[in-house]
Amino acid sequence: MALILLLIIPEIARAKLKSTIGGMFLPAIGVSSAGHNVLGVLSEKSPNPVQDEINNQSLISDSKLENIQLRAENLRLREAAEWGLRVPWRTKLAQVIGRDSFNWWRRVKLNLGSQHGIRSNQPVVSIEGNLVGRISEVGLKTSWAVLVGDPNCSFSALIKSSRQQGGIVSPKRFNSNYRIVELTYLPNDIEVRPGNVVVTSGLGGAFPKEIPVGQVEDSWLSRDGLYLEAKIKIHADLNRLEEVRILTDY
Amino acid sequence: MIFRIGKMLLLLLGAYFLTFMQSYWHGPRLWLGFQPDLTPALLVFVGMTMGAGYVSSLALAAGLWLDSLSANPFGISIFPLFFVGWVVFCIREKIMIREFMAQIYLGVIASLFVFLFQLILLGMLSVSPMIGWEMAFWSLLNAFFCGLSVPLFSCLHKVFRRWFSNSPYEPNKWLNNNRQIVRGKD
Repeated sequence: MALILLLIIPEIARAKLKSTIGGMFLPAIGVSSAGHNVLGVLSEKSPNPVQDEINNQSLISDSKLENIQLRAENLRLREAAEWGLRVPWRTKLAQVIGRDSFNWWRRVKLNLGSQHGIRSNQPVVSIEGNLVGRISEVGLKTSWAVLVGDPNCSFSALIKSSRQQGGIVSPKRFNSNYRIVELTYLPNDIEVRPGNVVVTSGLGGAFPKEIPVGQVEDSWLSRDGLYLEAKIKIHADLNRLEEVRILTDY
Repeated sequence: MIFRIGKMLLLLLGAYFLTFMQSYWHGPRLWLGFQPDLTPALLVFVGMTMGAGYVSSLALAAGLWLDSLSANPFGISIFPLFFVGWVVFCIREKIMIREFMAQIYLGVIASLFVFLFQLILLGMLSVSPMIGWEMAFWSLLNAFFCGLSVPLFSCLHKVFRRWFSNSPYEPNKWLNNNRQIVRGKD
């Protein structure tokens, strides 16, 4: 009965209902992140006088490791800041707070929504500036971004060196490696080499021009011989995304 | 009545927690490469041990929550979950539901059935998700986890019952053994 009702109601009402029911998880997200913070603070403050000697040694090695990690993070954030100054677009930093419940979709949930100025179809890039996807659904406080490689995220791209255009689509067969997508409809008389860099073409208006997407790993002629297809390894590691930038003005 | 409402709330809370973990806890995705879905196992367990109202309510709530955190058409997960729970509920008198292995088999079959049923429904609505051999392998692995989860849910249920209900009356058990009159010769 409920299923029939859900199928009968209009698409807009169904989307609103979906967003409302999805909003039921906001308290759990709040509790989860607060608990995470409290645990972090407690683990820093709890002293253990019995194991002071061992702790000191481990602290020294920890601080060395932390130093290396901080240097790497500093470098990463410097690159991000430089990227932010270099590009002409306005961006907003968002945190990845969730992922799609089903393994056959590639979507992530972000902690910014319409009240933060996020709109549907805005491009999403990684901290380093590589293409990640686009905003697909916007709620008041959160939004969903569909990732590159999902069947709902196809767009026009080009090979940077030869300026030949094609379309980025999800792999024909499911691939557990989130970084593999396909570039299809390339002219069959061009040479595509492994290592060639692929960027967005700007066609269709979905994404601004020249956002780095990935690089060619392999190429082959399509079954009917009419066009070339290429396997692309995208730059952004979509399985380990923690923070992303949303292009709000581009 | 209050016990029933409490039981229903606890069950819905469990389903809510399970759905939340499935979307917001990245651990399994990083270790296993995929996110296990244990809701079919929960429906099997509820079908085995509780009434029709519990099965229907849980299928509705879990289906809606799962779809609200997914790109699936809204409401598509309700029917497969409901069907699995209902079938187990209808045949539970005829199968050895208390047997450990029977529970595992039920969990495995239910998980595979829900996976296939969801794909068929998606196909009927002309929605094409990413499918391949690797996804089939994941669904088998997920079925294995679901199989193991059914006895786990049963154990948890027993623990909760022990906590929240009165201890059963046993006429032969005395609180103080010294006061028991033992008849017959030593």
